[in-house]
Amino acid sequence: MSEYILQTKGLSKIFGGLVALDKIDMEIEKGRISAIIGPNGAGKTTLFNLIAGVYSATSGEILFQGMRVNSMPAHRRASIGVARTFQHALLFGNMTVLENVMTGQHPRSQYGFLEAAFRLPKSYREERKISLEAIKYLNLVGLGMDKDKEALSLPLGRQKLLAIARALATEPKLLLLDEPGAGLTTLEKRALSDLIRRIIDMGITVLLVEHDMPLVMGLAEKIIVLDSGQKIAEGDANQIQKDERVIAVYLGEEVEG
Amino acid sequence: MFGFVKNKWIYFLVGALLAVMVLIPFDWFMGKYNTLLIFIGLNTMVTVGLCLLMGYTGQVSLGQAAYYGIGAYISAILSKTYGVNPWLAMLIAAIVTGAFAYGIGYLIFRLKGNYLAMATLGLGLIIWILFRQLSEITGGPDGMGGIPYLSIGGFGFYTTFKRYYLVWFFCLALLLISQNIVRSRTGRALRAIHGSEDAAESIGINVAQFKVKIFALSAVFASIAGSLFVHHLRFVSPQPFGFLASVKLVVMAVIGGLASIWGAIFGAATTNILSDELLLGFGELDTIVYGLILMLVMIFMPQGLFVKLKEIIVQWRSKTTQKV
Ligand SMILES: Nc1ncnc2c1ncn2[C@@H]1O[C@H](COP(=O)(O)OP(=O)(O)OP(=O)(O)O)[C@@H](O)[C@H]1O
Ligand SMILES: [Mg+2]
Repeated sequence: MSEYILQTKGLSKIFGGLVALDKIDMEIEKGRISAIIGPNGAGKTTLFNLIAGVYSATSGEILFQGMRVNSMPAHRRASIGVARTFQHALLFGNMTVLENVMTGQHPRSQYGFLEAAFRLPKSYREERKISLEAIKYLNLVGLGMDKDKEALSLPLGRQKLLAIARALATEPKLLLLDEPGAGLTTLEKRALSDLIRRIIDMGITVLLVEHDMPLVMGLAEKIIVLDSGQKIAEGDANQIQKDERVIAVYLGEEVEG
Repeated sequence: MFGFVKNKWIYFLVGALLAVMVLIPFDWFMGKYNTLLIFIGLNTMVTVGLCLLMGYTGQVSLGQAAYYGIGAYISAILSKTYGVNPWLAMLIAAIVTGAFAYGIGYLIFRLKGNYLAMATLGLGLIIWILFRQLSEITGGPDGMGGIPYLSIGGFGFYTTFKRYYLVWFFCLALLLISQNIVRSRTGRALRAIHGSEDAAESIGINVAQFKVKIFALSAVFASIAGSLFVHHLRFVSPQPFGFLASVKLVVMAVIGGLASIWGAIFGAATTNILSDELLLGFGELDTIVYGLILMLVMIFMPQGLFVKLKEIIVQWRSKTTQKV
């Protein structure tokens, strides 16, 4: 019903007395790359947590594909197509690389305790599909060779790619990436940009939070700037770079109003 | 993934182990240990449920003996007092215990860490007190006897020799089921919860529901063991289902390696042999011994004694093959 895959209306989150997000209105267009930037503590991760359902909003609305999802638990949002990565990779340390991604197929498979316990045919059928899909996503992010390693034995850059593969394995419509470039080398960041473009080509909408300006400016068609919980600017790379309030915030100056 | 074992030696090993297990209860072999072996089997069943809950899902239960007890009492009361067929009684016990744990789990798995530990401990104590206090139906602290043996058609499990096979049949079945679960979509979901609850939710895993379900399953395992227990001893009293029993079960799980299915046998065996053969003269002091074991294993080999030994053997083997 709307060309926006995600919309927020007057979205606020208050922690105790702290206003982490203040009446955010935002529209994310389908099939595009959008980015949220802003200084530390601006509320970027909090916004992701509200969209993904980790926290519930204090007030306001979250619409995913035009549907109000405010009261939907996080795991349900994943199953209707919202996937995310975390600022810290949050991999499953008790699993191999492949198993991490296979676990991401959870919402796209069904068999449960009974089929597992007695190895019923359905479990075999689904397991085969799950591992094939998982390998597909591992190859996509370039981790095919590492599939049998312990997840946490990977260097940081590869851990972040693994987290993306795990999120992709849920077969999302919207992918939220929280600082995917943090801690990566220049070379790794270039590979990351390529990967994000390929994800868009798969028809997945990407919303990313990132501090690396060249990376954001090179990728995002729309940039939303947050500061102290408020949206202070929005537009394409050119508009944002010229915006006085944005410049002021990034130079650490006080802005009135 | 359902990995097929590529090493054919594993089949040989499993075959040999099974053959030994079949021969064990004969008098000329280890027949005089049948009672001990039956208890090892019963404890293994409860322990493996605890491993699924604690080792794989990362949730604590300090009251697992209570569910062992509920299974035992339901079986005892139905089959003795109401004359229900013992197999049917066992099934009803498993269903009731599972449903009860499901309801309880729904309430207490909102809690985490120490709070969860305290809640499971408290509940275990309450259930244990009920076994003592509801003496009209449970026989109170003195317990109740005269519980019938299990039988199939005309074949009754009247001797320890026969009951050894009965108990180990169930035990191996539950171990196999546990292994299948661990290596499945469900098993990955459980391990994901242990790894990171936030990450698990973010990929569509209903964390709360899986916790409750695995808790209920562990209670069902305990209940089945409890039913077999009363049809073995033909007597039930509150004594084996108290707090100490719950702690002992945790010790078994820890020694076997919390995240190791087959380690449960090892944990149950060492603990039972310790308490039956070596610690008999210690009386109440055995609690201290278990506490010490628990501490030492947690500090020096948190992956469990069984898993540690396995690692040492694998290392030793790779060293010797390198030399060749
Ligand atoms: N669970 C919480 N409880 C209380 N306060 C919180 C919580 N989560 C975030 N905050 C606060 O909300 C504000 C916004 O935090 P948030 O993590 O969203 O910032 P961010 O923009 O992601 O910053 P960074 O760039 O450092 O990741 C901060 O002041 C933070 O301390
Ligand atoms: Mg953040």
